[in-house]
Amino acid sequence: MFKKRINYKVPRNLLVLFELLALFLIFIYDKDNFDKYTFGSGIALIFMIYISSFILLRISTGDNYIFLIATMLISIGIIMIYRIDPALGMKQVIWIGMGIFLFFISYFIVKKIKGWKDWTLLYGGVSIALFVITLLFGTRTKGSLNWINIGRFRFQPTEIIKILLIFLIASYYTNYEKYKEKRFGSYYLIGIVYLFIGFLFVQKDLGTVLIFYSIFLALQFIYEEDRKLILYNVLFFLVSGVAGYFMFSHVRVRFETWINPWKYIDNKGYQITQSLFAIATGGFFGTGIGLGHPDFIPEVHTDFIFSAICEEMGIFTGIGVIMLFLILVYRGFKIAINQDDKFFKIVALGISILFGIQSFIILGGVLKMIPLTGITIPFVSYGGSSMLSSFIALGILQVASEDLDLGEEKYEQGT
Amino acid sequence: MYNIFSLIFKYIFIVIIYLFILSIIRLIYLDIRGIDTTSLDHSIYLKLINRKDTLPFKIQEYYTLKDITNLGRANNNEIIIKDPYVSKNHLKLVKDEGNYYLEDLNSANGTYVNGDRIMDVVKLKNGDRIRVGQVEFLYVNRE
Repeated sequence: MFKKRINYKVPRNLLVLFELLALFLIFIYDKDNFDKYTFGSGIALIFMIYISSFILLRISTGDNYIFLIATMLISIGIIMIYRIDPALGMKQVIWIGMGIFLFFISYFIVKKIKGWKDWTLLYGGVSIALFVITLLFGTRTKGSLNWINIGRFRFQPTEIIKILLIFLIASYYTNYEKYKEKRFGSYYLIGIVYLFIGFLFVQKDLGTVLIFYSIFLALQFIYEEDRKLILYNVLFFLVSGVAGYFMFSHVRVRFETWINPWKYIDNKGYQITQSLFAIATGGFFGTGIGLGHPDFIPEVHTDFIFSAICEEMGIFTGIGVIMLFLILVYRGFKIAINQDDKFFKIVALGISILFGIQSFIILGGVLKMIPLTGITIPFVSYGGSSMLSSFIALGILQVASEDLDLGEEKYEQGT
Repeated sequence: MYNIFSLIFKYIFIVIIYLFILSIIRLIYLDIRGIDTTSLDHSIYLKLINRKDTLPFKIQEYYTLKDITNLGRANNNEIIIKDPYVSKNHLKLVKDEGNYYLEDLNSANGTYVNGDRIMDVVKLKNGDRIRVGQVEFLYVNRE
């Protein structure tokens, strides 16, 4: 017991050491024009992460690792973002602070409120409302219509809909018996999910389509009793993939640059080839932070942050990031297996699949393993909505890792 | 000056990241191992006879016994079984001179040892089967 308690401190202290060294590096870099604000917020962030993991160990009986893994990913990401653009780095610090706050908020809300499994219609309704709002008031950036501006604040509704989709599927399969009795009952879910995917096609947000499809297919594969529906789904996936290739010109561009980016190095393939050059320049140990040229890659702070990490901190750090995601997803599956409550079991599975597939799509994309789709790496990339929704998902996963005594009321009548 | 630091730090960062991953994996490993071997070698314990997945409520494979162990459906018991046929405070196991004595606390559906409903305090011996509600335990005492 005593030995175990000491061991818990090891990763936490390593994390703090890592962050302090990074801050020290910034301090040397900027020693001529020392900025108190930067330094103060850096210290505040380190303190906040340390205290949060400390508090979490006290208040939560569940998993202690997922938060640590996520904060390690964040630390790697924030160092790189700050190095690319200090102004963005400072913004990201604020987003992380809000994210950790939201992590605890969503943890308490999801834990305290009972009855999440019965609100299938609510999840569907809210998601559709968000989609309609995006279509009506959204702004178009880089070909996709997926941002809403509220005053100075911008956010991506699809980041929230991702979590709502997981809740929707989970609540559907928890009440599967009820829906099965109705006529065409097993087609309801497919109908709704395809409606979502239709909306996303209209918005031309194809990266998110891929995430939605993967989550839906995976959960359907595990829980659907009517196995032929899965077959239909896969067939439809293939058909819509081919249709997307012919319908959208930028899907064709992505595909061509995946097959042979060197042919289009001066225009279409510029981004991916620069990413490959950056990774190759870094080698095993990288060029050292601040000594490479990751700014040659367009969009390096969001989609291509992994290439920047590989260039300046080395392939080993890149492998480290992938391993951290592996452990995170593994913990997620473990949580799902141990959870007795069916709703939270499916939610935990869905969230693990979300983290796994999202990082797989973008990491595979920048390494030219699969065609590139522009989405963020959870916890690592710059981006407010992405950071906040990832932390909300992590908070829900934290709830799912605990023993939830939800079935207790049922037995109260007995002697 | 900065370049030198940056070059040194990149190695340190990689080392720290891998130590971090290693320590997490080590903790997870301890976690997994801890589930299987709860140091049952020297202690006296109850072993579940039913297959765990046939029971619709949460139950452990093994329960180690303390000096006084209460079993029941209420949360203040040492062994909590959320079986509707188990009473809130169902039975008590008391240790006396290395042996355990089982006492039924006026439960509604009773406690059965080797198939017989017990009325009084019963001294348990190794291999006794204790049935409570839908659950059946094996009493193991290897001393």
